[in-house]
Amino acid sequence: MKLSEIINTYHCHVYHEELFVDKDIDFAFCSDLMSDALVIMNSVKDDRILDHSILITGLATQQSIRTAEMLDVNVVLLVRGKVPSQKVIELALDSNIILISTEYTMFNISGMMYQNGIRGIKYYLQW
Amino acid sequence: MVEKEYQIIAKNYELAGRASSDIKKKLKQENIGRSLLKRICASCYEAEINVVIHSVGGYMTFSHEKDNYIEVNVYDDGPGILDIDLAMTEGYSTATEHDHMNGFGAGMGLSNMKRLSDVMEITSTPLGTHIRMIFIVGESNV
Repeated sequence: MKLSEIINTYHCHVYHEELFVDKDIDFAFCSDLMSDALVIMNSVKDDRILDHSILITGLATQQSIRTAEMLDVNVVLLVRGKVPSQKVIELALDSNIILISTEYTMFNISGMMYQNGIRGIKYYLQW
Repeated sequence: MVEKEYQIIAKNYELAGRASSDIKKKLKQENIGRSLLKRICASCYEAEINVVIHSVGGYMTFSHEKDNYIEVNVYDDGPGILDIDLAMTEGYSTATEHDHMNGFGAGMGLSNMKRLSDVMEITSTPLGTHIRMIFIVGESNV
């Protein structure tokens, strides 16, 4: 799916229009535990996968942005209607991370995205 | 040659990750593969978060003096790890609900750091903990 399709289909709010790049999103990983994101996404050795990935989380703190930054993932989707603080929004801008949010729950948005062809990231995933 | 030192402030989640972010920027300027870069950054970030959660404060140093490896040292001022083997067990944690609300504290930090680094050594006393991590810059990582 194109990022713009994700935003329109799932009624996402985009925090920094100026960072928006309409890239293809082919993979996703969802977790509220950043340690799992750090180790599982790190096991993926094909850079193209993380370039086309989205981190789905209910964690609306700086740590979700920092985690994405460490992994070179540049789209973070906040679920369950979480509202990030201004500091989180600013950190996303500084880190060049496209921060979006939706009212959908993590399970529901993941299911819908999966149905639309987005694959889940798992250990040592290959393209 | 790059060498830098970063202060890490206990219980401060707003600044947590700032050191690792700076290390990433420094390493990006060097000829290091993305896979190695991500391993280093994720390990540094876990280490930084550990100091924020568990200690009374500390610092992290990063050096790339030799071509073949990158060394990260993390020091804190206590209270130390009582049982290192137990602390290395996945899922064992003494973190609080506040730490969980910040996306960490599930007892994965040390084991993730060991998994992501090529060498990891821990020494700990009640006065503080020192973690040394080595990342080998091999041909596959350039």
